[in-house]
Amino acid sequence: MNETRQWILHRISAIILAPLFFWVYFSLISLSKKNYQEAIYFFKNPVFEIFTVILFFVGFFHAKISISEIFEDYIHNKKIKDVANILALIFSMVIPVIILILFIYKI
Amino acid sequence: MTDNQNPLSPHLQIYRWHISSLLSITHRISGIINLFSLILLFFWLVALSLGENNYELFLLVINSFIGKFILIGFTWSMIFHILSGIRHLVWDMGYGFEIKTANISGIVIITSSLILTVIFWLLGRGLI
Repeated sequence: MNETRQWILHRISAIILAPLFFWVYFSLISLSKKNYQEAIYFFKNPVFEIFTVILFFVGFFHAKISISEIFEDYIHNKKIKDVANILALIFSMVIPVIILILFIYKI
Repeated sequence: MTDNQNPLSPHLQIYRWHISSLLSITHRISGIINLFSLILLFFWLVALSLGENNYELFLLVINSFIGKFILIGFTWSMIFHILSGIRHLVWDMGYGFEIKTANISGIVIITSSLILTVIFWLLGRGLI
């Protein structure tokens, strides 16, 4: 991915994330006072499911770009930096995929 | 690698602190904290999928003193990162670079992130 496109995608993902994060966090705080049944009922709502999955995919995408930028600033050994970037990439894909599977099969 | 003379960045321990540098590094740190809060949300959903007993246990941890402290901290981090992110987007469009404006917007972000966290928490927990 070239740097300019990455820069633009980073901003676009930020704009998508801001309202999503706000909404999901507010829901979490109110869920922390509710029991299992209410939580299940809450997460069964398809709108919430879709938004949560989007939050995970876009969130980890945004995080991957940012983390790589931080690696660029603080890791000066190229080999270690490359390994760190690959690990971050794997991590940023595995977690959203697990969430997607959870929503499809378990919850 | 030893003959690479490119300047290294950022030297946190060397520069004198300003509002701008404080917010810059806090933006990064809060971003990393937000990553952890996504991971918390991940475990929240995993706990939910593991059934009622496991979820009740998870709620017990979340509602403990430390759990609440972490959740409030994560909330602040999220709000701060979003507000500071908006400031960055405004900069990207080419506005607000004057030192005075940048200092004022920095102070506004720090205070409003704290106030919003309190409001968010009170509303979310049904206290107001």
